Amino acid sequence: MGLLEILQDVELFEGLEQGEIEQIALLCTERRVAESEQLTTQGEPGDELYIITEGFLEVIIGGTSTSQRRVVVNLGAGQVVGEMALIDQGPRSATVRAIDEPTTVQTIKREAFEKLCMENNRIGYIVMRNLAADLSFKLRHHNLSERD
Amino acid sequence: MPVYKVSIVVAGSDHPGAILNMSRPPKIGEKIRLGTREFQVVEVLKLLPPRGDFQYIHATCRAVENP
Repeated sequence: MGLLEILQDVELFEGLEQGEIEQIALLCTERRVAESEQLTTQGEPGDELYIITEGFLEVIIGGTSTSQRRVVVNLGAGQVVGEMALIDQGPRSATVRAIDEPTTVQTIKREAFEKLCMENNRIGYIVMRNLAADLSFKLRHHNLSERD
Repeated sequence: MPVYKVSIVVAGSDHPGAILNMSRPPKIGEKIRLGTREFQVVEVLKLLPPRGDFQYIHATCRAVENP
């Protein structure tokens, strides 16, 4: 599957037209992540967003010792990781590492992403709306996991 | 083609659950592989109204018993 087809199946870009997705594709860099390799570390600065195209990542929160850490969710194909640092420019809210082989992500740098959103407000509005919807979905998932 | 964004919660297991896109909706009774582990779907709910090509689904699963 080509990059444009992959991006069309990512909720973050739902509502964008073909030419707009092509502009997003120009910002993407593919990265293969080895099993157990960390993409982000909680508390560290971050300036990239990741879109999972293959495999699974686990999201871990907690302290520095193993006993304090907790895996809160696994994220698979089509999901977005690292979006909080992209929006609020704060430190990484979680540690993220690959738990499947192969795991592949598309990486988008914050600076390039913000530049595109500023230059094309339609893209900026749609992507930011979809980012908010994605954060809402993750919150709903968390609430359902606490249901019992 | 519709894309099914699925929230999966695994009941009675240490698995943290998952969110992933699927090309078809999960069905009660079928098995789903999450990484190296396999689970059985026991509940499927429509979580949100569809938006564009996306359907939003929640599935509850249980660990598959080894024979």
